[in-house]
Amino acid sequence: MKIGIPRALLHYYYSPFWVSFFEELGVEVVFSGSTDKKTVDLGVGISVPEICVPIKIFNGHVLKLLNTDVDYVFIPRMASIEKGKYFCPKFMGLPDMAKHSIPDIGGRLLTMDVQTRSENIATPEMYYSLADRLGVSEKQIRLACKAGARNFKRFLKLCIEGRTVSEAFEALKVPDGQAKPPVKIDGLKIGLLGYVYDVYDEFVSMDVTGRLRQLGVGVLTFEMLSRQELSRYVRKMKKSLFWTFSDKLLGAAYKMFRERTVDGVIHVTAFGCGPDSFLGKLLEIESEDSGIPFMTVRIDEHTGENHLQTRVEAFVDMLKRRNRTTGGESL
Amino acid sequence: MKYSFPYLGNVMVYKKIFEMFDYEVVVPPRPTQKTIDLGTKYSPEFACFPYKMLMGNYIEACERGAQIIVSSGGHGPCRAGFYGELHERTLRQMGFDVELIIFDSIRRDLWGDLSKFFRLKGKNSFRKIISATRIVLRMLKDLDYFDKKIHTMMPYEVVKGSFVKAFEEITKNYEKCWTMKETVKAFEMGEELLRSIEIEKVEERDRIRIGVVGEIFVVIESSINMDIENTLCSFGCEAERSQYLGEWVDHNFFGKGREKEILKMGEDYIKIIIGGHAKQNVGHIVDYSKRGFDGVVHLMPFACLPELVSQSVIPKISETYGIPVLTLAIDEQTGKANNMTRIEAFVDLIRNSKRRASA
Repeated sequence: MKIGIPRALLHYYYSPFWVSFFEELGVEVVFSGSTDKKTVDLGVGISVPEICVPIKIFNGHVLKLLNTDVDYVFIPRMASIEKGKYFCPKFMGLPDMAKHSIPDIGGRLLTMDVQTRSENIATPEMYYSLADRLGVSEKQIRLACKAGARNFKRFLKLCIEGRTVSEAFEALKVPDGQAKPPVKIDGLKIGLLGYVYDVYDEFVSMDVTGRLRQLGVGVLTFEMLSRQELSRYVRKMKKSLFWTFSDKLLGAAYKMFRERTVDGVIHVTAFGCGPDSFLGKLLEIESEDSGIPFMTVRIDEHTGENHLQTRVEAFVDMLKRRNRTTGGESL
Repeated sequence: MKYSFPYLGNVMVYKKIFEMFDYEVVVPPRPTQKTIDLGTKYSPEFACFPYKMLMGNYIEACERGAQIIVSSGGHGPCRAGFYGELHERTLRQMGFDVELIIFDSIRRDLWGDLSKFFRLKGKNSFRKIISATRIVLRMLKDLDYFDKKIHTMMPYEVVKGSFVKAFEEITKNYEKCWTMKETVKAFEMGEELLRSIEIEKVEERDRIRIGVVGEIFVVIESSINMDIENTLCSFGCEAERSQYLGEWVDHNFFGKGREKEILKMGEDYIKIIIGGHAKQNVGHIVDYSKRGFDGVVHLMPFACLPELVSQSVIPKISETYGIPVLTLAIDEQTGKANNMTRIEAFVDLIRNSKRRASA
């Protein structure tokens, strides 16, 4: 049996879990390949015009998978992984949208509800509904969850050591201890905030991490921070952002701004992202209070890469000049 | 202290309850282009439209001296749950000395809500509060009743505008009420008034019924939804909304009403509650088609998160149940002509296909 996982959205965070989980069950996992113009066009063709780019790209990947010989396309419903926190409504309605708006998906849609209290999403009860269709027993699912959780834990550890998600994915492929050490760059440090599916999708972000590093800039992202570090400041808010990943980004931002661990912050966001419209405002306020420069890069389905290159370079130049004149102190 | 509230639906009722508690009230002006411009100026560019409208609303209320604004909140996953936090920060940044009291879900923060309740209660006795609440609830439901009833009769009025005028008069009657007795009287007067208005007799097969579903804010507030029900009536259709304030209160505070049933009907299309009223809306569309409505207008604020999901599944419902649905996105661009043309064309299509079916 073959299961396709769309290489979009939370694949960039949870595929270490899903891959081990399915492989443990003896199921072959295939991905839909990287995002290119064709994928985007496919997605745009069947999505509601106003919806955000990541969802359009996701739909494109689903269509690509449906054109292959996979038995199922795995589209879990991401509802909640933390008490009182949810995902964006579009994630919560993802299988519904796929079922009713993607033509010919029919019985090939494999879905389950992720509704749990732990980040490693290894609650076996959630996966029991898959047992029949995969032809496995509940006991096998329990074992598979354990395998998934192990791999996911390893992934998180690789990230916290200072790797980006894509580097951690690479490092997962080699045995423990043999992975390439994380990139260390002395010099400017920029906090790069954005959802994993924006920052690590090479079409969306046009490899912004690579570009920054080429300019001799160290990059700090939210997945390099531990859970304690992420919740240190947001915990004290009267009402926190109730979207899990937005809250993580805000926590990372508060830490960066308030502990002054970076020279500047770049927020990568997709056109039409709802949670980011609020998150962005909070970051703006925070940047003003701390005096650390902040830039928003908003990306949609027809972005040329020159504007990104220009803006990122200009931002870095500005930071370098600022550091020369003030010695790094804020003005 | 001067109290204020968002402008949503029939604000006379909110004014009433504050006045019954002997508080000074600032009624925000009915949203206009200026309100929307103000709100847009001080909101994040991609914030949803109700956020911007409320922002403008609050600014105008603050300019008129409001010191405390009372509103309802939420706890996600829709953005509305975070409105209060950002509104308050923005208003403070603008230099207004104002406090927002936001009632979130009781289940989430019982103590917080209770303490807010006691703050609002002030020196008023429980007895007074209960009786005031009962009167205001009655008013709310009566007004909903008239609102609903009027829009089943308006398309057939002989003298244009008589029902709009009648509703204004009914609201005015209620505004004068302070006791239950007076409220009951106002209801009878309202019924009497409606009976006195002359309407044409129309055959059942010539009637067109349109349901209006969508995000609660743009469905209820007529100043920003092109006065959708009256517009539909002026095109000769009966109109019914999926949301009425009284029903909202009934469901959220007393767990009554048809909402459970509606949610069940939506389950095939959106399995869980994903915030806002997305699941209810798809349920309402199914409900309207089962009740024999001829079409549905679906209103959503531009880029509303939950409604984008319902918009994605609507074509399938429309196909399965054979009910036409027109989705209109509403934002700060207030040009009406485009939407009017679309609504008119939609109604024409329905009328034609109905004629052909009965011929």
